[in-house]
Amino acid sequence: MKNFNWLALGFLAPALIVITVFFLAPVILTGIFSFTSMSTSTGVTGGEYLLNQSGLRALADKGLNQVTLDQLNNAGYVVDEQGLAALAEKHGTATADEMRKLHDNGQFSARRDMERALKDLKANKIRSTKDRKAAAELFKHSLLNERFEAEANFRVALVEGDIPIEDHEIIVTQAYTGWVWTVDNVKLLFSLPSTLRYAGNTLIYVTLTLIFNIGFGLFLAITTFYLPAKSASTFRAIWFLPRILPPVMYVLLWKWLTWDTGFIATTLSWVGVAPKNWMLDTSTHAWVVVVLINGSFGASLGMILFSSAIKAIPSSILYSSEVDGANRWQQVRYIILPHLRWPILFVTSYQTLSLLTSFEHILLSTEGGPGRATEVWSLAAYHIALDNYGGNLQYGLGATFAVALVIIGIIASLFYLRFFNFNEMVAKPKIEG
Amino acid sequence: MQITLQNFTKTFDDVTVIEDMNLTVKDGEMLALLGPSGCGKSTTLFAICGIHRVNGGKILFGDRDVSDLPSQKRNVGVVFQSYALYPHMNAYENIAFPLKVRKDKPADIKRQVHEIAKLTHIEELLERKPGQLSGGQQQRVALARALVRKPDILLLDEPLANLDAKLRLEMRAEIRRIQLETGITAILVTHDQVEAMSMCDRIALMHDGKIVQLDKPSEMYNNPANKFVADFLGNPPITFLDAKHQGDLLVLPNGHEIKNPKLAASIQSLQVGIRPECFGPQFGTGIKGVVKFIEKQGREELFDIELTDGSQLRSIQPSGADLSIGDDVDWGLSLDDLLLFDLQGERL
Ligand SMILES: Nc1ncnc2c1ncn2[C@@H]1O[C@H](COP(=O)(O)OP(=O)(O)OP(=O)(O)O)[C@@H](O)[C@H]1O
Ligand SMILES: [Mg+2]
Repeated sequence: MKNFNWLALGFLAPALIVITVFFLAPVILTGIFSFTSMSTSTGVTGGEYLLNQSGLRALADKGLNQVTLDQLNNAGYVVDEQGLAALAEKHGTATADEMRKLHDNGQFSARRDMERALKDLKANKIRSTKDRKAAAELFKHSLLNERFEAEANFRVALVEGDIPIEDHEIIVTQAYTGWVWTVDNVKLLFSLPSTLRYAGNTLIYVTLTLIFNIGFGLFLAITTFYLPAKSASTFRAIWFLPRILPPVMYVLLWKWLTWDTGFIATTLSWVGVAPKNWMLDTSTHAWVVVVLINGSFGASLGMILFSSAIKAIPSSILYSSEVDGANRWQQVRYIILPHLRWPILFVTSYQTLSLLTSFEHILLSTEGGPGRATEVWSLAAYHIALDNYGGNLQYGLGATFAVALVIIGIIASLFYLRFFNFNEMVAKPKIEG
Repeated sequence: MQITLQNFTKTFDDVTVIEDMNLTVKDGEMLALLGPSGCGKSTTLFAICGIHRVNGGKILFGDRDVSDLPSQKRNVGVVFQSYALYPHMNAYENIAFPLKVRKDKPADIKRQVHEIAKLTHIEELLERKPGQLSGGQQQRVALARALVRKPDILLLDEPLANLDAKLRLEMRAEIRRIQLETGITAILVTHDQVEAMSMCDRIALMHDGKIVQLDKPSEMYNNPANKFVADFLGNPPITFLDAKHQGDLLVLPNGHEIKNPKLAASIQSLQVGIRPECFGPQFGTGIKGVVKFIEKQGREELFDIELTDGSQLRSIQPSGADLSIGDDVDWGLSLDDLLLFDLQGERL
């Protein structure tokens, strides 16, 4: 490393740090989270060991044999110090001492047996059946609903409960309440029917918005190119408004336009159309609004890039096409559009990636509705991980959705590079290095 | 087709570039629009092909007023100063473009492109993009594109500017041959007088947006309308001496006297233009001076002679004169070829 340039590293260091902290770290963390079962119920730190009824059901589903299940389910009875202490509290130390003498460490699987053992008490009889039943309950020793801080303690309890050793592993796994490493998220992603729905929605959303974006951007750039300079810039400025407005305000304008008491509804009510919410009325309406909101927002980027690219075309080439007899349309088709190939590639790929990941306008307008008609992938990831109706935020599953989106984005970029013959374009540098 | 400019005026914002220009290019003629850089040659051309709208006057093709016709409808072939080839199309597509937008049949397009490519000697270059062609090759592609749809008028804006001397000579002949063969009316814009004189039937010499003289090349050289024309034409250029008119004698600043009975008596002071080929030993003696500078041009040699009073004359001689800098000479003038101008520069 003789030529290693420390100075260069010094200059790069801030950038590297920023990239690492603000870009790489979140991506890597998301990648990591996607292979965990993190959710609100597991928390993000460690957990405890707790077996409850739903845990038992899950174990049954996983094929744990019925005998072990019964063992876990049915309370066992053990005469231990804990139980004796409780007995002493209720019926006096003498009773407890006698019980210890008679049945220390005695184990009984059925309540009847435990009660019978209590009947053995001679000096300190517990006379009423009801009291005896209650006393038996004091010695009840079950794994169900009992919290264990550490795994070792839980395992000890399993051994004490005479659970067959070969079943321990599966029970311990089930009983753990913290997050664990898992590929279940990925499996779930591929098996949930809603995944397909989100994917389909995303495809519709990205495709339609892109078409609108690029098409409208091109239209604006080309028409303003042929307009006199002054009206052209006024016209362009109008389409910058959506960019300048805060998204919340911008979407609010749309809402105001489409509410059931909004502009459209009010205006149409004058001609006898019953007022309705024009945004959330049907899924078609919702889609139209979503595409229009995002499209008008995005069109200005294409417009400005295409405009400057058109201005960069040497005027002699445009002149020459005119004397060659090309009309406006032919000029656009054969001269201007070929010159816009690069900016179109750029805007298309850039917009695809940003549309794939951006959901703020949908969140603010339809919130994925009506139903889940406009729930796109990134919005779903947000809902799953950060804003769940059920209340159980599934960070792990959400992260998996996000990672899938990253992968889709990468595939999309590769596709674009191929499709637009990127290699051919960059193969020959204009200036030989 | 005859081209007529009537009181043609062109302004950019508030700058008047061309004012009241009148010009007629005869049918089948090749006319050179000659003039120094910035005098408005390209502007005139752009107005003729319809890229620029005229601000005043008329442009007629034949009897048809085309002043308000868009360029698409004028059927004019143009070779631009910068070629203006379409960078994303190869040579074939470039040449085919005017036919394609005219919606000719593909087979026809192919035939015509190959015909014109043959005429301009670029058949083997048709697959290349403009970026892969040399300046001269681009030039010929541009020429082919201008000619391919058989325009009524051909406009060439300095088409040979980027060529080397040899190719330029070839292309001059080539363009002239093609023009004569097709019988097309052509305007050649140039600031190279040799090009204008060797290629064209007539020359229109422009200066500051005006045509100062329109004539046959030889006529313009021998009989310039004013000092500007005399100065602009001729390489090496003409030299001027201040002279006095006394009786029927012209007195040069070095005291040399020339008999000249034709001049009006009212003229006291004037300028005498002397071309380099009109001064030398073959014209006798009487003008004494010192050789200040010698430029060898191969076949010929150019001498700068400082006369006794300090004024300078230029002389061009066949190579072989045994002179070096500092030598004294005593040469004469070809009296018939002297050009006389008044102090405003108008020809006397
Ligand atoms: N679009 C324009 N706007 C303003 N002035 C212009 C414009 N085009 C040309 N001019 C001016 O008009 C004058 C004539 O320009 P033109 O291009 O016709 O010169 P030219 O004779 O072709 O010169 P060259 O030999 O250098 O090509 C110049 O002074 C130029 O600055
Ligand atoms: Mg020019």
